[in-house]
Amino acid sequence: MNRRKFIRNAGIAGAGAFAVPYILPSGRLFAATGRQIAGHVVYVLFAGGVRQQESILQRYLDDSQGFPWAGNIMYNMFNGPSPENKIVYGTNQGNGVEGGTPIPQILSQTLETLGTVFREVQAQSAGHFGGLNNLLQGSQVTTQGLKQKPINPTIFEYLRRHGGFPASKVWFVGNGIGNGLPLLNYSNHPNYGSQYGANFFAPSITFGNLGFEHLSNAKVYHPENELDPMYQMKYFLDQSFANVGKGGDSLGNTEDEKQDIKSFMRSTYDRVTQNAIPFPTITENNDALNIGFACEIMRWFKPAITVVNLSSVDGCHADFTGYLRALHRADHAVGHLWNYIQTQVPEMAGDTVLIASPECGRNLNHNPIKDVNDWYAYDHSDNNASRVFTVMAGPGVPQNLSVGSETNPVGFTSDNVPTIGEILGVKDEIMGAGFLQPESVSLFDRI
Amino acid sequence: MKNTIIAFFLGLLLLSFGACKKDVAQDQYEVNPVKLYPSIGAKNKNKTQEQYVSILYTNLFQRALSGNQLVEIIDCLESIGDKELGREVLISNFMNDPQVVLPSDSVMRANPDVFTEQTYERFFVRKPSEAEKTWFRNFIEANPQLSAEMIYFAFALSNEYLYY
Repeated sequence: MNRRKFIRNAGIAGAGAFAVPYILPSGRLFAATGRQIAGHVVYVLFAGGVRQQESILQRYLDDSQGFPWAGNIMYNMFNGPSPENKIVYGTNQGNGVEGGTPIPQILSQTLETLGTVFREVQAQSAGHFGGLNNLLQGSQVTTQGLKQKPINPTIFEYLRRHGGFPASKVWFVGNGIGNGLPLLNYSNHPNYGSQYGANFFAPSITFGNLGFEHLSNAKVYHPENELDPMYQMKYFLDQSFANVGKGGDSLGNTEDEKQDIKSFMRSTYDRVTQNAIPFPTITENNDALNIGFACEIMRWFKPAITVVNLSSVDGCHADFTGYLRALHRADHAVGHLWNYIQTQVPEMAGDTVLIASPECGRNLNHNPIKDVNDWYAYDHSDNNASRVFTVMAGPGVPQNLSVGSETNPVGFTSDNVPTIGEILGVKDEIMGAGFLQPESVSLFDRI
Repeated sequence: MKNTIIAFFLGLLLLSFGACKKDVAQDQYEVNPVKLYPSIGAKNKNKTQEQYVSILYTNLFQRALSGNQLVEIIDCLESIGDKELGREVLISNFMNDPQVVLPSDSVMRANPDVFTEQTYERFFVRKPSEAEKTWFRNFIEANPQLSAEMIYFAFALSNEYLYY
């Protein structure tokens, strides 16, 4: 852009700013007036099916395998002493025992100390896809099918439609493309939909071997000399076709946002090659990789909301030892995530609320499958599978507060949607839209 | 006796010619002729991702995409939330491949109308309207830096290309 063109455009934009108030994608003139508690939310779908007994209740092998060894293997998230015997959840470094060296704690203060823990929350689905839908829609739609986009609006759409957040500030980082995960970045609801959806990457694919083979060699076109005329031609062609059909699946990224995302992709391919992605210290599973790429996305975009999902604990269907290791690593990854935000992303440090909830629990009783340690595995289908926790920390969240107990459940997983709405200033719009589970309220209203 | 032996060998020779006869018709494959759409409005179905990718590849490389590669590319597109952006990145990758088959810019500029008509037929399987032809002629003439690659890119990214 030459100087004259820049001055002309700046003048037009300046005049427009006086003449036309900011028009949101929803057609509203002004953004929601709700007070924001923080500028950013990082929402960890601590998924895969997590038993209360080994997580927040810290019973380790005591309530699963009949051994009297309890202890906390999630010491970045919760307070409590670690197990003293039968340590199998760590790494193989050090003492030569398989899994015998626990991963060092990252956070000097746990998220429990830094924030509020809802110790006994009711999950509204015992399945993965239903549970994830519940965490993102704030409702449990009985007609919601598998491999189907959410029926009701997701938190992404609420934020973009009612809060006016641009697409590049709303991110969903999936740990793969299986189990319908890529379907969850927007709903099929006629009043919401793709134009309010979240940007999504499944980094293990996008920036993994497949991405390197098919996406990393993109030709870089000059934005003005090449991309401008290319888009002009595309818009002409689309205009001719407008009465017949449309693209339909655009997230509404502006051309500048698209350029920015493409630049991010190029940078990420380079940084993967240079080994510069900020992965957690222990990166042995897909959860840890996903958290590393989520950090990279936050470093670049500073999103208003970053949703990142984990699921390695689901190996518990056949491998209890592997489940303990995955749980320990998921805690390590969340600790790394919080630490990275506070120390490496100054725009988000001190202005980010982190929320983490499993999408469902696991059964009270084991299945008949034994692992290498002769320990039984657990599925998820009974009432115990509807028992989970929620932890949140950050500005505006009461510190060192514990709400509810094993005998006194407080809250639902669907509460997370209005809670995020409250943090980012659109709670009233979400509550008023009428799609939440009827009993759902913001967790701030349960404190 | 001698004549009988000669007749026998002649017969054998004839039989052997018969055995060597090649059944040509059985091994021949042909491409069905494709009818052009009578108008833009005749397209009412969305291509699947698989259809989009294989047709795009064939249009740009003049050969078919292997099944394995198709599955891999579909996975890559699935891993990106903004599908339009994903397609754009994919097309940019294809355009960077030395094996992509593109007409030269001099051919395009020698006769913009013919180039436009051929491009519409290749990508949209229909003829352009006079208005479309005029628009592209003017656009090509007004933009000296415009290349055939850029026009192919725009067609591949257009909404109409998502339909059949």
